[in-house]
Amino acid sequence: MAARAEAPPRYREDWRRGRVASWVTTVDHKRIGILYMVTSLVFFGAGGLLALLIRAQLATPDEHFITRNAYNELFTIHGTTMIFLFIVPFWAGLANFVVPLMIGARDMAFPRLNAASYWFFLFGGAGMFLSFFASGGAAKAGWYSYPPLSEKFYSPGTGQDIWILSLHLVAISSVLGAINFLCTIHNMRAAGMSWMRIPLFVWAVEIYSILLLLAIPVISTALTFLLLDRQVGTHFFDPSNGGSAVLYQHLFWFFGHPEVYIIILPAMGVLSEVIPVFSRKPIFGYKAIAFSTVAIGFYSMLVWAHHMFSVGLPNFLNVFFMLSSMVIAVPTGVKIFNWIATTWRGNLILDTPMLWALGFLCVFTIGGLSGIFLAAFPVDWQVTDTYYVVAHMHYVMFGGGVFGVFAALFYWWPKIFGRLLDERLGKMQFWLVFIGFNLTFFPQHMLGLMGMPRRNFTYSHHGLWETYNLMSSIGSGIMAIGFLVFAANVVKTSRSGPRAGNDPWIADTLEWYTTSPPPEHNFDRVPYVTSARPLRDLRRRLAQADAVG
Amino acid sequence: MPVSVRRRALVLLLALGAALALAGAAYAGNGGFAPATPHSPNASGINDSYKLIALFTGIIFVIVEGALIWFIFRYRNRGRPRTAEGPQIYAHTRLELMWTAAPVLILAVIAAFVFYKLPGIKNVPAAKAQGGPLVIRVEAHQFYWQFTYPDGATSIDELHVPANRVVRVDIHSEDVDHSWWVPELGGKFDAIPGVTNHTWFKANRMGTYRGQCGEFCGVFHAEMTARVVVESDAAYRSYLASVRDPLILGGQEWRGVCAKCHGLSGRGGYGPNIAVNAVLVEHAGLLRILEHGQNQLRPVSSYMPPVGRGWTDAQVKALEAYLKTRVYKGAPSGG
Repeated sequence: MAARAEAPPRYREDWRRGRVASWVTTVDHKRIGILYMVTSLVFFGAGGLLALLIRAQLATPDEHFITRNAYNELFTIHGTTMIFLFIVPFWAGLANFVVPLMIGARDMAFPRLNAASYWFFLFGGAGMFLSFFASGGAAKAGWYSYPPLSEKFYSPGTGQDIWILSLHLVAISSVLGAINFLCTIHNMRAAGMSWMRIPLFVWAVEIYSILLLLAIPVISTALTFLLLDRQVGTHFFDPSNGGSAVLYQHLFWFFGHPEVYIIILPAMGVLSEVIPVFSRKPIFGYKAIAFSTVAIGFYSMLVWAHHMFSVGLPNFLNVFFMLSSMVIAVPTGVKIFNWIATTWRGNLILDTPMLWALGFLCVFTIGGLSGIFLAAFPVDWQVTDTYYVVAHMHYVMFGGGVFGVFAALFYWWPKIFGRLLDERLGKMQFWLVFIGFNLTFFPQHMLGLMGMPRRNFTYSHHGLWETYNLMSSIGSGIMAIGFLVFAANVVKTSRSGPRAGNDPWIADTLEWYTTSPPPEHNFDRVPYVTSARPLRDLRRRLAQADAVG
Repeated sequence: MPVSVRRRALVLLLALGAALALAGAAYAGNGGFAPATPHSPNASGINDSYKLIALFTGIIFVIVEGALIWFIFRYRNRGRPRTAEGPQIYAHTRLELMWTAAPVLILAVIAAFVFYKLPGIKNVPAAKAQGGPLVIRVEAHQFYWQFTYPDGATSIDELHVPANRVVRVDIHSEDVDHSWWVPELGGKFDAIPGVTNHTWFKANRMGTYRGQCGEFCGVFHAEMTARVVVESDAAYRSYLASVRDPLILGGQEWRGVCAKCHGLSGRGGYGPNIAVNAVLVEHAGLLRILEHGQNQLRPVSSYMPPVGRGWTDAQVKALEAYLKTRVYKGAPSGG
């Protein structure tokens, strides 16, 4: 059954084997995954630079480090980049690499479609950054670009149009990717891998893909309407001609809130893989975690208007969205309790992937709890659109998303590249980012409660406003150093890092069964899957055979 | 194991102590641990809800983070080989049910408390003894606030109201989305074109309260501030009389509407120097740019919001009077 014997290797033209051409023409899920991840990390760096400029501008009162318009461009493109060009495509890249391996498949279901979705993403992202050179500069109406502000009259220039078109490309990329993941997970699992035996990360990617399919077309609709308003003269969102400005908000957040879970569910999936392996225990409550993933996905479609409590919706809608938003805390809590229970009486190996996972638990809990304040709509009326929301949202997206990204990178790096990252530098990076992160974002809760609105170019208050803002800016610098340490780690280990071997962490899932990096065809043969921990089963069978023999 | 039980009790006590300290800090309400000190019943209702949620989330925070740190410390590797497995516990149904039900109960308590407070936050009191609420029309524009009083008088960026009077605020927008927000007097309510929103307050202390636009509205969003001056009835009435003077209203318009971009002297800032621009004293031209703004990319990119959209004749006349006497410096000579 060896894959190599199935068919003679297909003939390839010479030019396709070149060092660059082979990457451009590749349809191998692993190479596409790497392209995705590298590209999204480059966007992460670029978006991070924008954030550093924002923090430099806000470090002291009445600062004029950059111009007003530049500031508005910075936070608009920063938010858009981190959401659309970093975290979501990073998960697409990671899932591309590991999902087929985790389920014992040869490749994704549609390899060419897979390549297409990467190139759509790349060109969309490049367009977004090139829009800084557009006439009138890049988009500057905020990452959610509410009309009428984003309409032609109030936002002249082509930046806003390029923003829309770039997002259209990225949206197509996400939808194609989601279809591919679903087809792969549903049809290409190894023999014996029933739904209760698939790795929890694959569960997360399943729900991530479904949410993308449901949510992305809605934002594409909103963006198309906006583009038509701007370019063709329709009035979808123009109240003076019978349109509705609130309609856009509904459409945007109908996408926007599932998007939060599109970002966070794969990170949670990573935790469900990392924590048991580094606790030397099975995940506590596999079914509870899998079903809570489904529950979160379901409820995430029912909470969008909690972003709109101050819009003046009818009272019964505010009440409904408050209750649904509170309900979604329950499955999230179930996950957190199960992860903590997994560590109970374990043999906790505090390697870098585990540090990021435990760091996620520590800070994401804060983000979850501050969300309860925002769900209670009268309290939301006080804190919405202030730095409190900025803090909450970064505790969720950064404390959840980015910590999950680095847990994943340190965990799967040896599988992807065949070499381990440096543990000492990894730990140094973790502590720099962990401390810098809390220093940056925790004081922002206080700033928001003291009345600092988000997106303000500058402020004239002194005293605590100044202190908290300066703390926040210093923290962002510490984080930046942490990410430079990661870059140094990559450079240092790329040639001289220790070889990983098939399974450096003694893990439980199928991707560790093959070599690191895996061959183009992934597996010579795939063992029959007898539980959610096929590799541990295999190790036990081998040990038994040894004992008998 | 009494020793371990005692240790656990100690940890629990410490945790509770920390939670109380946190809650105490929150109650003190300074340093940004709670919303601004309320000076209106609706803001008080919001603060009470905030504090109840802070109490519960504080306790949950301490329990979750406490367990996490304790487990990391207690079960860390300590030189055991990587192959040494912990007990292979797969699930525990009763535990799962417990930690599903407990958050539901806590959230139910929070929701019940918020709903109990809600009418006092949301509903405008009838204020029959005062002859109904004082109704103020708030119009949000890029980048100023315009207030219209029941007698038709208007003021810019500065709202005067009598103390202990129920004030109903009707919120409109003439251009893009904004949000009306005076933290000490209640929460945010968006100003959205085509929609009228309402909120209210009843300030219980004289003084000046700072308000700020809460929804990003463009390049001068940060400068879109409002002052709510709460004063005695007599002072309120004399203020209303004073803004009838075109030069006073015109001055407010100049400072609030024009000067944020063009500078207090009109000699330019973010916007161009207009002190010598003849449009300032030319009725039709001024009216056109006030009503329609301008928006062009060539020859130079220039955007001006339609700042005077919806203005009354009195408002335009007040601005013209002020421009003529205080701002306009005549056409540039020798040019």
